[in-house]
Amino acid sequence: MIPIRYNLRSLAVRRTTTVATATGVALVVFVLASALMLSAGIKKTLSISAQEDVAIVLRKGSDAELGSVLDTGSVNTILGAPGVKKDETGKPVGTPEIVVVGAMEKIGAEGLSNVTIRGITPESLRLRPRVHIVEGRPAKPGSDEVLVGSRIKGRFKGTGLGQAFDLRKNRPVTVVGIFEDEGSSYESEVWVDLDTLRAAYGREGSVSSVRVRLESTAAFDLFKGAMEGEKRYGYLALRDGEYLEKQSQGTSLFIGMMGTLISVFFAMGAMIGATITMYAAVANRQREIGTLRALGFSRTNILVSFLLEAVVLAFAGGLVGALASLGMGFVHFSMMNFTSWSEIVFGFDPTPKIVGTSLGLAIVMGLIGGFFPAIRAARVSPVAAMRG
Amino acid sequence: VTLAGLAVRNVLRNKFRAMLTVLGVAVATLTFIMLRTLVASWAEAADFAVKDRLVTRHKITFVMTLPRKYADTVRSAPHVKVATFLNWFGGKDPKHDKEFFANMAADSDTLFKVYDDMAVKPAELDAWMHDPEGAIVGDVLATKMGWKVGDKVSLESGIYPSRTEWEFHVSGIYEAKARSVDRSSFYFHWKYLNDSLPPERKDQVGWIVSRVDNPNDTATIGTQIDKIFDEKDIQTLSQDEHAFTAGFMAGVSAVMTAVNIISVVILVIMALVLGNTIAMGVRERTNEYGVLKALGFTNRQIVWFIMSESMVIAMAGAALGLAIGYPFIEQGMGRYLEENMGSFFPYFRVPPSVAATALGLAIPLGLLASAIPAMQASRLKVVDALRRVA
Repeated sequence: MIPIRYNLRSLAVRRTTTVATATGVALVVFVLASALMLSAGIKKTLSISAQEDVAIVLRKGSDAELGSVLDTGSVNTILGAPGVKKDETGKPVGTPEIVVVGAMEKIGAEGLSNVTIRGITPESLRLRPRVHIVEGRPAKPGSDEVLVGSRIKGRFKGTGLGQAFDLRKNRPVTVVGIFEDEGSSYESEVWVDLDTLRAAYGREGSVSSVRVRLESTAAFDLFKGAMEGEKRYGYLALRDGEYLEKQSQGTSLFIGMMGTLISVFFAMGAMIGATITMYAAVANRQREIGTLRALGFSRTNILVSFLLEAVVLAFAGGLVGALASLGMGFVHFSMMNFTSWSEIVFGFDPTPKIVGTSLGLAIVMGLIGGFFPAIRAARVSPVAAMRG
Repeated sequence: VTLAGLAVRNVLRNKFRAMLTVLGVAVATLTFIMLRTLVASWAEAADFAVKDRLVTRHKITFVMTLPRKYADTVRSAPHVKVATFLNWFGGKDPKHDKEFFANMAADSDTLFKVYDDMAVKPAELDAWMHDPEGAIVGDVLATKMGWKVGDKVSLESGIYPSRTEWEFHVSGIYEAKARSVDRSSFYFHWKYLNDSLPPERKDQVGWIVSRVDNPNDTATIGTQIDKIFDEKDIQTLSQDEHAFTAGFMAGVSAVMTAVNIISVVILVIMALVLGNTIAMGVRERTNEYGVLKALGFTNRQIVWFIMSESMVIAMAGAALGLAIGYPFIEQGMGRYLEENMGSFFPYFRVPPSVAATALGLAIPLGLLASAIPAMQASRLKVVDALRRVA
């Protein structure tokens, strides 16, 4: 085999061309990796809070808590269903919640943005053990005190600790605590006492959803069966994870698809660039190739060597692109989720798989871009080439 | 032979490389057009919004409703010509529960007076008015779901669960007379909904849409309407349709900014590919430039010589990209997006301005890409150039 040092040195000699081609590949890899990371970030933000043994009940026909209406009478039916875990005192573990969307003034931007407001009970916090207060204190049940998720704290008017905003006209609530939940979408919500929210939004007599803790993960089928048996009301029972994944589907699919489509076109452009570069390399090195053949290297050796050179070139670019995209891990931005119609703060989530995929793309680009030039190189006749 | 003529000949000297480069530029142009069309089409909904249409909704949140009598108050407000009201129904066809489409209960008497940019055949409209369970659906939605006039459709709604399934008949199909109209919506009689609701949920409307007599004054008229309700139980927020849509779209503005940035990145890649080709050509032809200089051509002429070669390739590539891009976007991608994401992209076509920008950019990009090799060649000393071996 022809030593790889030969290829590395050849690349170094044609510095400008090498850099131009590698930069093209780097940009492609950067764009693809960023899009995939954002798509993964959206999925993670919306599903990280999922718990294996938690189920949610909505009104059949609705996709999200926002569009679901259950009458208060249903709450006890759902909590009393088989498969629901009971605590030490024999009380079922679960809670009704109300989810609405409120228009709030975004600081530093014109106009109003939608924020998800969740009506909670003390049980809601017990059901989500990972939620913890990072500033201030828990809200008193039944009061006008609210908790604000850490990601929107201070981003909307009146959402800083100790500040107040109107839930509706003349219905002020005070922020007493800021909570975190490992970066989940709950961190982009405002949590209000269920009854306070109900009064303010005129939702007497109904809730959006009921979440319950199951006796075990396996108890879900039993619970679901019981819920769907209640034909008169039409309930939809989902595992928490399944529900949360549904919430991210539209948005993350949209970003993922758009990113992939753009990357495909980008890759085509960069691949053409690589092909041009490699063809030129082959044309300029006719004599060298002839010499190599005369020294006894086979056609296959030449083919492999030039393919390898193209791959090294693309991989170097890919590495730069992938490294740069890791920097996106520090970027957060606010975007509307298509399912909840409200803004959620998302981040880019760099996973090893994404880095691997994008480096893989770089290698494929090198292989395809270098293929035809490498064949041409392998076809060079030693005698003709050395004669010049 | 002029210098420009020589430049064109030079392009064809390495036909294969020139072809590949043109192809590369074409792909980049195609991508650029695609991305720009995406952004333009997204903004289209707001740009083509009817300026004299005013949307009045609950001040705090769109999930809460307004009392039905608010609509009458709006109708009697100064400068309001006609007003209709709608409720978001949030229904899904249980047989196609993955398909999302907007479905709304609307005040039948006024809906098409306010939305006169939706066209329904008079016979179908008449049939609708006489069928309490009738519905008018968009042409794109009808095609997608396979609905024809006279078909029965049942929907289930999580917001209005008082019936497990609501039955409708397709009375007519509307077509769009303006680009901002979503052709995938489903409208039915507000009365049908209201009559089926329990007493505590009766007589509520989601939002009120009115036409005003002075399109330049829509915002002020909106403020005046809001003032009427200011002392009432429920306050309102009135915005002209443009502001309403723009506010909704602000939610994804970050993505659109990203797309805009990416569309510039593809131009950078294009310049790299083009610049690379030119640089290679210049390196291989160093001798010739020496000869030209020895013959008395000035440095400036050499620069133009190389730059025009680059521009010829760039323009050929841009033209090819446009030729491929137009049918690709209009027939393939655009049709798909209009059918499946009509609420976001009601009109996905290449705007002439985008096509013109793509073509126009070929010239400066060709100049930019060849700047470095052209400068290098012009600075060469005749002796060095003649001596140098590529």
